[in-house]
Amino acid sequence: MAENELKQIVSQLDSLKANNLSEAPKLLSRAKLALLNLNALVPTEKTQPQHLALAASVLEYGALISIRLQDTDAFTRYFQQLQPFYFLPSDRSPSRRQSNQGKVTGLYLLLLLSVGDYAGFHTVLEGLEASSGKEQIEKDDFIQYPVRLEQALMEGSYDKVWGETKGERVPSEEFGVFSEVLVNTIRSEIASCSERAYPSLPISNAKNLLFLDSEGAVIQFAQSRGWVAKEGRIYFPQQEEEMLAAQKDVMSSSNVVIENTLGYARKLETIV
Amino acid sequence: MADKMDVDAVSGAREEETVGPAPDLPPERIIINNFDLIRQAVDAFDSRFILRALRSISTLRKSDKFAEAIVQGVRTAFPKPTMGARKVLEDMLPENVTAMQNGTSSSGEDKKRDGSTEEQQLPEIWAYLGILVQVYLYDSQQFQDGADFSTNFVEKIRSWNRRTLDQIGAKAYFYYSLFHESLDPKPPSKQSPVIEVRPKLLAALRSAVLRKDNDTQAAATVLLLRNYIITADITQADLLVAQTQFPSAASNNQVCRYLYYLGRIRAIQLAYTEAHDHLESATRKSPTAGPAVGFYQQSMKLLIVVELLMGDIPERSVFRQPALETALYPYFKLVQAVRVGDLQAFLRCVTNNEGQFRKDGTYTLILRLRQNVIKTGVRMLSLSYSRISLRDICTRLHISSEESAEYITAKAIRDGVIEATLDHQNGHMVTNPQRDAYSTTEPSEAFHARIEALLNLRDECVMAMRYPMNKHRQELSEAAKAREREKELAKEIIEGEGDDADGDEGGFEGM
Repeated sequence: MAENELKQIVSQLDSLKANNLSEAPKLLSRAKLALLNLNALVPTEKTQPQHLALAASVLEYGALISIRLQDTDAFTRYFQQLQPFYFLPSDRSPSRRQSNQGKVTGLYLLLLLSVGDYAGFHTVLEGLEASSGKEQIEKDDFIQYPVRLEQALMEGSYDKVWGETKGERVPSEEFGVFSEVLVNTIRSEIASCSERAYPSLPISNAKNLLFLDSEGAVIQFAQSRGWVAKEGRIYFPQQEEEMLAAQKDVMSSSNVVIENTLGYARKLETIV
Repeated sequence: MADKMDVDAVSGAREEETVGPAPDLPPERIIINNFDLIRQAVDAFDSRFILRALRSISTLRKSDKFAEAIVQGVRTAFPKPTMGARKVLEDMLPENVTAMQNGTSSSGEDKKRDGSTEEQQLPEIWAYLGILVQVYLYDSQQFQDGADFSTNFVEKIRSWNRRTLDQIGAKAYFYYSLFHESLDPKPPSKQSPVIEVRPKLLAALRSAVLRKDNDTQAAATVLLLRNYIITADITQADLLVAQTQFPSAASNNQVCRYLYYLGRIRAIQLAYTEAHDHLESATRKSPTAGPAVGFYQQSMKLLIVVELLMGDIPERSVFRQPALETALYPYFKLVQAVRVGDLQAFLRCVTNNEGQFRKDGTYTLILRLRQNVIKTGVRMLSLSYSRISLRDICTRLHISSEESAEYITAKAIRDGVIEATLDHQNGHMVTNPQRDAYSTTEPSEAFHARIEALLNLRDECVMAMRYPMNKHRQELSEAAKAREREKELAKEIIEGEGDDADGDEGGFEGM
């Protein structure tokens, strides 16, 4: 019945190859229905251990497959559904999930990082530190990867981020999905830094700085950001605008001063 | 010390005023005197008397005859051994004490019994005794009993729904959650009993809001926040803050705690400016001496870390306060490392004091400081040199590669940490000459901020003044009386005038 069907689906999911991933969502929704029949989609006191293990593995497959399909919303849903399973007491939780828990959590952290949700990232990390202890986190390569990335990003060592996203440093193929997003993030970060830091830059150097493949790509990128490329150099156009803005600031501040002074007068009146 | 600090962080703030009524009285006298205070409170509907009664708890619990005193109090309030209320309380106290008291005090009680047997005892007095029992159980480490007793106790208080019980109720919930926190498995674990307390506290919060019961509302909010933070459910704590309103009439100590937890949540979410505001008011409002100093230290630690994260350096005088000096020593070292931008010293400090930082719950925040240390280092270099090569930056700041150094300085320039430009071909960082601060709007902004702060302070002072209840009615009746008197006076004058007129006339006639 439902249990056998589930086992069958799990083995099918296991043997799915990259080329027919599109079938996975159908299998997954069938699996979830079966779980509902077993009353195991949400763990309760009465759920049997083998059902728990099945449910956790179905949801983990769901999470990993949705990452491969680049469906981040579905992945977030699976992650949330998995949470109650991860916080079960250790004597009731299925034993083999250890490896995948780190993977799924690491992926979720990376997802938060790639959309720039640093507050969410640290909130999840704080929860991990409190619930599973430091040693386990430091051992877990899947979790250390996003942690390292975050540190490098915040510090500004973008070359380290670039290094981490290279093929051999990524801990598993699912993590590779985010590499592209991350590279784009750091490229725009570097671009906004360069605008302020350099008066001008030779195109060949910019190619290295921005991790672009060719000088043509650099010129294309420069145009998209509104930079001027001439005589083999890139000129960043922001300075004059900034000066104008500063001038305006002084001019418009007289308004603020008048407003403040009036405010003080009003307050003084209420006090005296 | 460590254990004490933890408890103080929660219970200490409440006990700041240890000036109980005449501390040399024997404990049972204090308890019985407090019955009068409570009666007075119920009659006059004035919560201040209840607060005064609760304040003496810290004196009482230090007495070595605390249990005996409670038993005597219970006996005085409920003279009949068959009374249900008495039995519930006495079951929790040690048997030898109750047995002993049975022998000695029965004769004294027989006399009293005649007068008060029929009298129905006030629920407030029973609840007060209940609190004493809770304190006793907590001090004698009977956490399981205490948890069971408290569960029934808070339920009972809630069902009474009396406004004069509010202060006692708030305290009852406090011990209720404290007991559950002390049960195994201890909080960071997800199976801790504190999680089971949540529905109850939420229910308490709901009824408190509906009944406009400020004390319980504040207490329940704070306890829930603590509960969530202790298991690192920051998202839930954040949602709670977003969905509820903290009563503005809450007592100062509750406000302190609320601000502290709020600051903690915001710090974890990287909203440092907000966190700084909350923590600053928390430390300013918290008592800086006495048994609550643990709370002050704790919030000060967090405040220092948040200040560092914002890129500020806390003042040296903070670490010189006698209440803080030893407790903050690891943080002092940390600040020193960050101030000079020495990455090696910073990492050494973190590894040396890891245990302490973990216990304070600041470890993850401190790890985030790494980038600040680097930024400060860059800033120091930029201030000292007008032109410095990237290779030198590398060696000075112990950065692994020249490329990294270039990106890091570029980011520092973008974030406004330093005023400089980079020369890529020659590998130099060139510092721009500093602009004159007085040519910008900065001085006027600073001036405005100060004036604003002072005006707010004044407004808050005015709002914090206490006006006695019904004073205006008294004034009205006085005014009415005065008017009456005036009328009478006017009448008399008129009459008198008549007399005078007569007299005058007579006078004139006489003349």
